[in-house]
Amino acid sequence: MSGYWSGILAILAINIIFAYGIFVTATAGQLNLGGAGFMAIGAYGAAMLGEQLGWTPALTVPAATLLTALVGIGIAFPVLRTRGVYMVLATFAFAQVVTGIILTQPALGGAMGLVVTEYVDLPVLLGVAAAVTIGVFWLTATRLGLAMRALHDDELVAVLMGVPARAVQVAGFAIGGGLAGLAGALYAHHFSFVEAQYFSPLLSIYVLLFVLIGGTQTAWGPLVGASFFTIVPELLRIGGSWRYVVFGVMIVAMMMFRPEGMVTRTLLARLMGRRRHADAG
Amino acid sequence: MPDEALLTVAGIGKAFGGLRVVDDVSFTVPRGGRLGLIGPNGAGKTTVFNLISGVYPLDAGTITLDGKAIGTLPPRDRVLAGMARSFQNIRLMPHLSAVENVMLGQQARASGLGALLTPIGWMPRGRWRRDAEALLAEAGLDIDPGDVVSSLPYGIRKKIEVVRALASRPKLLLLDEPAAGLNPAETAELARFLRKIAEGGTALLVVEHDMGFVDEVCDRVVVLNFGKRIYEGSMAGARADALVREAYLGADAA
Amino acid sequence: MSAAAGVRGAHPLVVSAGVAVGCVAAIAGLAALPGGATLAQQVVSGLMLGGIYVAVAVAFTLTIGVLNFLNFTIPTMFMLTGMVAWGLARHGLPFTEAWHWALALPPGIVVAILASLVVERFTFRYLKTRHGDATEHAIPLVSSLGFLLIFEHLVLIVLGSDAQSFPVRFRLDWQVGPLVVGLPQLASLLLSLAIVFWLSWLLARTRTGRALRSIAESPDTATLLGVEVTRIVPVVFLLSGLLCGVAGALFVVNYSDVSPFMGDHVGTKAIAAMVLGGLGSIWGAIAGGLLVGLLETLGIHFFGGDAAQVVVWTVLLLAIVLRPQGLFGGSRIGKGKL
Repeated sequence: MSGYWSGILAILAINIIFAYGIFVTATAGQLNLGGAGFMAIGAYGAAMLGEQLGWTPALTVPAATLLTALVGIGIAFPVLRTRGVYMVLATFAFAQVVTGIILTQPALGGAMGLVVTEYVDLPVLLGVAAAVTIGVFWLTATRLGLAMRALHDDELVAVLMGVPARAVQVAGFAIGGGLAGLAGALYAHHFSFVEAQYFSPLLSIYVLLFVLIGGTQTAWGPLVGASFFTIVPELLRIGGSWRYVVFGVMIVAMMMFRPEGMVTRTLLARLMGRRRHADAG
Repeated sequence: MPDEALLTVAGIGKAFGGLRVVDDVSFTVPRGGRLGLIGPNGAGKTTVFNLISGVYPLDAGTITLDGKAIGTLPPRDRVLAGMARSFQNIRLMPHLSAVENVMLGQQARASGLGALLTPIGWMPRGRWRRDAEALLAEAGLDIDPGDVVSSLPYGIRKKIEVVRALASRPKLLLLDEPAAGLNPAETAELARFLRKIAEGGTALLVVEHDMGFVDEVCDRVVVLNFGKRIYEGSMAGARADALVREAYLGADAA
Repeated sequence: MSAAAGVRGAHPLVVSAGVAVGCVAAIAGLAALPGGATLAQQVVSGLMLGGIYVAVAVAFTLTIGVLNFLNFTIPTMFMLTGMVAWGLARHGLPFTEAWHWALALPPGIVVAILASLVVERFTFRYLKTRHGDATEHAIPLVSSLGFLLIFEHLVLIVLGSDAQSFPVRFRLDWQVGPLVVGLPQLASLLLSLAIVFWLSWLLARTRTGRALRSIAESPDTATLLGVEVTRIVPVVFLLSGLLCGVAGALFVVNYSDVSPFMGDHVGTKAIAAMVLGGLGSIWGAIAGGLLVGLLETLGIHFFGGDAAQVVVWTVLLLAIVLRPQGLFGGSRIGKGKL
């Protein structure tokens, strides 16, 4: 396989994990426009643990994931006081604070970035992405996943059915934050370099778009969304800025004609036939 | 002990702004009893439901369910104490299937991490899913349990709401206008189903405009007007009561 | 407490006039102090910069207040004005000479307004809420992110990605004691405030304003009361396009920096201003805009750029969580004190 395509596959694997992080939170009805902040914490966490403590990726990656999940829990409590546009803005501000802190801390490399010595190869990335995909499919099929989707549709009724709303939403932020951190840790170890500028607001915007355009109703959504927007532009081989214009046009058209995303439950029902669909998570 | 009180509502009140929507209302639902809550539009029936289920905090009064004071508990703890409700306007989760909506109703019975993390939507038919499908069938719903509810007809969705509330195996079932919008055949079938549930020992508290339906399902009624209780007793007694007639038909008819 | 109530009861114009007099007095006092002149100069520059933020913040707050829509294309309108004006002033149209810079500004503003109306056509016109669930509210926001990409990269394709200098060739400075006040900057602060005052008059006193406020309260009730929502909604986009266009024009005249990404910086600062002022509140956006301008210049003066970013966004995060109604008022989305 050429270096070009293995590079794209690596980005794809990271995008899928990252998109599932945003998806899990969105499934519970929360829009997280601070994805880049969580990913940055995972990336810098892994980089620093490797550099300072000499840990191998087998330790740094799980530790960075756990760290970001804890940050997710910590940020969930203030953020969950807000909703709608306020939550979008609060998570956005959170990511700005994270990258701002990185830029001002010389120990974190500031604007120069950090070199990450330990390398994680492509097969590991693909394996983790596959495991995360299966894990999220599992999650959506559990009672926890059902509670999340119920909160997304109608929070008041979910509570009146006995769903512990706050606990489920915090769990959503913890799992979602952890997955975004996992994506960041893998990014750091695979590309051997992290810099704050990569974790820009635009990255948060892109990953939220992957998820909303893929569809939040089923776990297929982020997989399809991330894959589509990572691979199709490469296949089209359209250069530079036109790629983003086409991307933008697709987004606008999608919201006009299919606002619930590419993959919906009714689409799955049609693809799989009635009976199979009855069993689909 | 058939006459022991399951739900006791004592002197509850609620005001929005200066308007007293519910004013000093008291009644009891005995264990296994079937109480109808009726009254003209705007009498405060749905507000009473919202106060009992914990959507709004009480301004005054107490609510006791099965010997436990629940008037100040959050909604979820009231569900755990043994009540479940349906809604006047269908509020099923539109993106979930029929059986998933019913499984959501089971939430109060599932506790612990194990119950939270076991897949309930997949091929190996766990007990939760079998239970939910059985309940749908018991209600006479001839549908594919996997159908997404937003694609189902009104009458069926209305019935799924009742089944979802039943899925928690409540001691007390609150139904807010369960027959509204149903045709006569559907209404009669729903009444039969509710009587069967009541025979199984579940107490019912029903808000409904269709008096024939109330007569058929409930053994006693409470009539509200302008937030106050104006009558409690049998349906036949309510029909004969001057105050009730005045509330429904205006002063002239009384 | 009673003083606060008194201030709240007074007409906003009276309050603004009072604040303005207070500011001038404070700056004069500061400049008179030994060594205070540099600081006073920073305050003046901060307020001038804040004037630009005010216009953009009001555009944000207007769309959120009336439509509950966080419109991410607003910074793009700002950028379009600057880039179109630069393109005309540098190259002209095909078969024409380069235009005089002053003539290049109005077409820039017109393009911003047209782009804003295009956004309305393809976001709100098609929006049908079906279930009212959490992600459905994000549909217009997602569309606006799509338009952000389209506009920004179309400009990149046509005019290139380099930062450019807008060819404005005059400098008129006004020397007040030790302070230098750029006259164009002062004029733009005043113009930007004048437009906002006009807007708040429009909302308070005209038929269109009443219609807009009724939509802000409840679109359904507005429809019942006979407000033609589909005809009034474009007005919001027209006004926000106008505000951003004027802000963009004033920005390039004063700072001459032009690039396809010029909107991003101003946009995030304007969002910060809006949050500090309280979403949906026009008077809050004015105060927030001036405050952010001030905080930015002073923050950079004392701490440097990146540290200022941390401070601004931490304050912002705390403000959203602890005082979602903004630092000054009690208005909320949809119930806006427009």
